[in-house]
Amino acid sequence: MRTEAVDVAIVGGGPSGMAAAVAARRAGAEKVVLLERGEQLGGILNQCIHDGFGTKVFEQALTGPEYAQIYIDRMEETGVSYALNTMVLDLSPERELTVCSSQGLRQINAKAVVLCMGCRERTRGAIRIPGHRPAGVYTAGVVQYYMNLRNLAVGRRVVILGSGDVGLIMARRLTLEGAQVLCVAEILPYPSGLARNIVQCLDDFDIPLYLRTTVVEIHGRDRVTGVTLAQIGPHGGIVPGTKRLVECDTLLLSVGLIPENELSKKARVALSPVTGGPVVDDHLQTSVPGVFTAGNALQVHDLVDYACLEAERAGASAARYAMAGRLPAAEIAVRPGQGIRYVVPQLVSGTESVDFSMRVVSPDHDRYVIFRRDGHELRRMKENVLAPASMLRIRVRSDRFQRGAGELTVEVGA
Amino acid sequence: MKGKFVCVVCPTSCDVNAEWNETELLSIDHAQCKLAWEFIRGEIFDPRRTVTTSIMVDGGELPLVSVKTRTPVPKAQVLAVMDRLADVMVRAPVDIGEVIVPDVLGTGSDVVATRKVKHKG
Ligand SMILES: Cc1cc2nc3c(=O)[nH]c(=O)nc-3n(C[C@H](O)[C@H](O)[C@H](O)COP(=O)(O)OP(=O)(O)OC[C@H]3O[C@@H](n4cnc5c(N)ncnc54)[C@H](O)[C@@H]3O)c2cc1C
Ligand code: SF4
Repeated sequence: MRTEAVDVAIVGGGPSGMAAAVAARRAGAEKVVLLERGEQLGGILNQCIHDGFGTKVFEQALTGPEYAQIYIDRMEETGVSYALNTMVLDLSPERELTVCSSQGLRQINAKAVVLCMGCRERTRGAIRIPGHRPAGVYTAGVVQYYMNLRNLAVGRRVVILGSGDVGLIMARRLTLEGAQVLCVAEILPYPSGLARNIVQCLDDFDIPLYLRTTVVEIHGRDRVTGVTLAQIGPHGGIVPGTKRLVECDTLLLSVGLIPENELSKKARVALSPVTGGPVVDDHLQTSVPGVFTAGNALQVHDLVDYACLEAERAGASAARYAMAGRLPAAEIAVRPGQGIRYVVPQLVSGTESVDFSMRVVSPDHDRYVIFRRDGHELRRMKENVLAPASMLRIRVRSDRFQRGAGELTVEVGA
Repeated sequence: MKGKFVCVVCPTSCDVNAEWNETELLSIDHAQCKLAWEFIRGEIFDPRRTVTTSIMVDGGELPLVSVKTRTPVPKAQVLAVMDRLADVMVRAPVDIGEVIVPDVLGTGSDVVATRKVKHKG
């Protein structure tokens, strides 16, 4: 097998992969190579033709493809080499990548690796709805790909299960393309997508959102003919008398995204059961030395800007590791406290400023996010709107970590 | 007058309190960035939306090119703009930013490509 040595190898050519590659070059890594299995750079942004990308970093609402182009240009400027139609099949803990392309198999030995594989959609298998398996049941992202990149229509009367952002975006897209979106059913008592998408994708078109409601049966043998919706009580059972049939030819599932980490598992990277992504330190280094990660492979992001900022940090750390062979040890454990579902990174060194990302457990408003080390308060940040759908990103300066000792907790408080 | 709005310019979805009179927006609070001002003023006096869709490409490496209205168009004209674009076809190559339909339906907004599409092969 052909073997090649590089300083930094990046897996995945979405916005995170590109941002990591550019940052690695800028931080001084000589040979940076990015590997993308698809036929173009940009990842999921290619199918996100709607606007609203880049407001934090570029102060504009760009479309997905426009945002991708900015990073494609930066890749050219900084001299990152990349290979398309190239799938990374295997990764060893010693950072040997097995790569497959039309030229066959080859091996890449990297001093540092950044994993930027993005995420995948949860499917109906994960949620178990009774009924046959008729045609007409799709995940929202697949329909987005068909409609926006392949010019294929899916159906005329559509019910959407789950209020994730991809489903909401597709509710609008389908409506504008002339299909009838009958309703969105969400099992939780609050929407799982962003308020922005409820307003501009549902409210703008008078599409009803039914909360505490789910699909309990799918009808039809060859093609979907309808679904039965029912309300779910506070303890999980169907509320009697609330079942009703909605006739439709298509059911779209938007029931969540999970970080893609098959490759990470092969390299024996430790994963968090809460985020579904690797456990990382403040350099975005995983449990395997020299293996870094960022973007949707680490945690599902709602803002591409934050995915890219995270990736820049991972790319720069990877370059540092490739040159120095090590990074400062990260021994302070970070734990989610009251009201916080998860915090990334899970370990910090305490020697550098850290951008923490986190999600809250339930919706709230006008509360503080508080960082503590055994009773000492390191930082508190006022948040006007807290929603599980909106990731929070809060910086703690390096000097703050000197206060207190032991683990660091993050909680929502008054 | 007073009211609550959700700024939809970006995914942060700020809940914004606004105060206005017959002709002007007077104040807003709780917005995380300056893009909210123009948006809320629009929601009150002249609601608009950016239309994004994709149109067919002849001879391109991809069958479709994504497009947008360069500036938002009146909300009431969104469906009409979609209709107008339904059977537009362009020839490859298409450059990012290239004008596909100038001044669509007299809205003053050009429909432009939001990506590049090269020739097939
Ligand atoms: C429907 C939807 C709407 C969104 N709307 C917004 C919005 O309005 N504003 C905003 O700021 N953000 C939005 N986001 C979030 C934003 O798009 C993501 O945070 C961002 O695209 C994540 O980038 P990524 O590079 O981590 O992943 P991806 O873009 O998924 O890229 C991962 C890449 O890795 C490649 N890959 C995976 N495995 C391998 C392998 N083994 N070998 C080689 N290549 C591999 C894949 O082919 C892919 O190209 C939205 C996301 C979705 C899904
Ligand atoms: S005010 Fe700024 S940050 Fe808040 S939703 Fe609007 S554009 Fe986004």
